[in-house]
Amino acid sequence: MKVTLISIPVRDQEKALQFYTEKLGFLIKKDAPLEGGNRWITLVSREWQDGPELLLEPAPNHFEPSKVFQDALMEAGIPYTQFDVDNVDAEYERLCKLDVVFSVKPTEMGTVKFAVFNDTCGNNIQIVETL
Amino acid sequence: MTFYQEKLNHIKNVCYSNDAQIKAIIDTRHFIDHNFEKDLKLDVLSHIRFTSKYHLQRLFKRYYGLTPRQYLIDKRIEKSKEFLKNGMTVTETCFAVGFESLGSFSKLFKTKTGKSPSKFQKEQVSRSKLDTDF
Repeated sequence: MKVTLISIPVRDQEKALQFYTEKLGFLIKKDAPLEGGNRWITLVSREWQDGPELLLEPAPNHFEPSKVFQDALMEAGIPYTQFDVDNVDAEYERLCKLDVVFSVKPTEMGTVKFAVFNDTCGNNIQIVETL
Repeated sequence: MTFYQEKLNHIKNVCYSNDAQIKAIIDTRHFIDHNFEKDLKLDVLSHIRFTSKYHLQRLFKRYYGLTPRQYLIDKRIEKSKEFLKNGMTVTETCFAVGFESLGSFSKLFKTKTGKSPSKFQKEQVSRSKLDTDF
């Protein structure tokens, strides 16, 4: 078995696609139509295009517990997942200029530095740099 | 303050309050990053800042989640991928990242990446050719 995909719940796939590609800089790997206007959309890192794919999953719209869970994480400020970056401070500056809102500013803890932002699709996302 | 921020503060106080110790471990990682091709001995590393190599091993594992030896191996594999992509031969790569025998390098590379160094390199080359052909 291989780990090749992680999924992230989003309320609006098209909006998520824009945020994750235009602001975060991911590239589209797959975009295939499914029933009911849903799509199978996966993204990859620009600098690691054969790496794991990120699935933008419209689960909260179709499965109530997913929505409840997503809302609860958002309310508590807990990141749904995290991405590695080379430099948290630089990403923080870059994303702030693109009007991305952070709930945790760059913070050092142990051997990492991290920050948390709102992906505007229902999730807190953490970016992490290994020190 | 959110629930998450409260939890972070709690974890920081409980697990990551010893700044000097954490700094020494971070410095150790950086030292490995810059000297991965050398014959790194833990006792040498530990002499710089730590009481013994066991102490260093324990702390490194505590703060990074893996031992210095495991970290070094991962670093060497990461670097060897980079060298192979850039066209270095398998033998050159093996020694450039600090392995002493081609056999142990190839075996470890295959265990970690799922393919042999030569197969990995061939795939990289054919991939870059495809990019230019299409």
